Amino acid sequence: MTISNHIRFFLFLFLALLNCLVHQAAFAQEFQASDGHAIFHSTVPLHSFTGESNYLNGLIDFEQNLVDFYLDLSTLKTGNSSRDRDMYDTLNIDQYPFAEFTGSIISDFSFSPDSLGKQPVTVSGEFTLNGVTVNKTVEGTIENRGRSLIINAEWVQDITDHEIEPPGILFYRVRDEMDIEIRAELFPVNQ
Amino acid sequence: MMNKYLKLAALFIPMLLLFISITEPGYAQLERERAIPDRHIDKIFWTTQNIGLNTTEMVAKRNLNSSVIHTFGLVNGGVDRFFGLDDGANTKISINYGLTDRLNLAIGRMTFQKVVDLKSKYKLMHQTESGSNPVSVALQFTAAATTLSGQNFTFSERLSFLTSLMVSRKMGPLSLQLSPMAAHLNNPHGSNPKRLYGVGFIAHYMLNNRFSLSAEYLPLFGNRFAGTTNTFGTALNIDTGGHVFQLFLTTSQFHNEQFIMANNRDQFEKGEFRFGFNINRNFGL
Repeated sequence: MTISNHIRFFLFLFLALLNCLVHQAAFAQEFQASDGHAIFHSTVPLHSFTGESNYLNGLIDFEQNLVDFYLDLSTLKTGNSSRDRDMYDTLNIDQYPFAEFTGSIISDFSFSPDSLGKQPVTVSGEFTLNGVTVNKTVEGTIENRGRSLIINAEWVQDITDHEIEPPGILFYRVRDEMDIEIRAELFPVNQ
Repeated sequence: MMNKYLKLAALFIPMLLLFISITEPGYAQLERERAIPDRHIDKIFWTTQNIGLNTTEMVAKRNLNSSVIHTFGLVNGGVDRFFGLDDGANTKISINYGLTDRLNLAIGRMTFQKVVDLKSKYKLMHQTESGSNPVSVALQFTAAATTLSGQNFTFSERLSFLTSLMVSRKMGPLSLQLSPMAAHLNNPHGSNPKRLYGVGFIAHYMLNNRFSLSAEYLPLFGNRFAGTTNTFGTALNIDTGGHVFQLFLTTSQFHNEQFIMANNRDQFEKGEFRFGFNINRNFGL
């Protein structure tokens, strides 16, 4: 094998590799967010409170029909540090620091990069909190803004499904069900 | 020659596929990562003040902590004095505001000598989960004025000051604090020293998320007021989520450090201690 043949061979491999990567990037249908907004609303008798976080991580991969979101629960803040600490203890975040959802789109939904606008979507998968996973179907919207996707969803979550005892003392107790909202702007992974 | 190419291809094609799979942007789930990798150790103590001594614990930014402390008479007064509850309680009401997560300002008022105090506390260092900061450190400065009427004192003579450096560490359920402090009293009465020096010790043991035990000891070094002793106290802490209650037994009936150092004359081991309680409530503003 001459030196020029070697060079030709390695050049071929290099171009093949480059071609694979370019091809992959050009047709990627994968969107990701790391600063999505998550909110929960909860109530105790005569009082309600809200917790918020701007650390929602999310991934939507249309090609693989994968929807994956997680939130570091220690970033949830209610505006009252004592209540936050009590909430972290209740959610057992030292052992299970994340709330996670992994699923797929089950409604009639088609994604086209050129088709702008908002579409309703139904996603079904597994929601994990406190290390306990339950099946969950969530309805929301996906809005294609051209350079990004905006996703919105709301659902009601019963925390007792995740073996979490609602905190309380004497005559008051936090309601079992929490209203959860998420909003995130996802950007293409390979652009 | 063709064989050589086939061998090379057999070597490089799997490598190429491996490379592609590594550089694949992710057809699997996202890797779970903590938002703040090296978090501060939380809840070293449950309150900003343990009985009489301040802790490194801070009121969070835009939060307000209110505290109501009562300390009654000596328990050894027996049932005739209902174990001290018939005796006049020293009550302190205070509010403590978190200007930032590191800077707190507080104002309080105490029944005995009608003391009004202003306190600032600054968090210099947070203990971290990784151990990059092994301890929490806070600096406190307090200025107090006795506002008792009918006494012929100038405003300056009514003032006293305290500076304290608090160093704490949490190790599992156990938290310890060491706090060297210096007090200056403008009018210490008679031949008593104007300056007092002490080192506060606090131990806090978490039984579970709701209950903990704590104890504190404040020995003085150098000159001291005549007839005074080192104070000792022990408490049961109850965290209800909204409130933290402290039920304590302590020698001193005073509620801030310079007055504890200047006035405590009781000895715990001789049964000279008092029942008291502290109710803490945190508000988000």
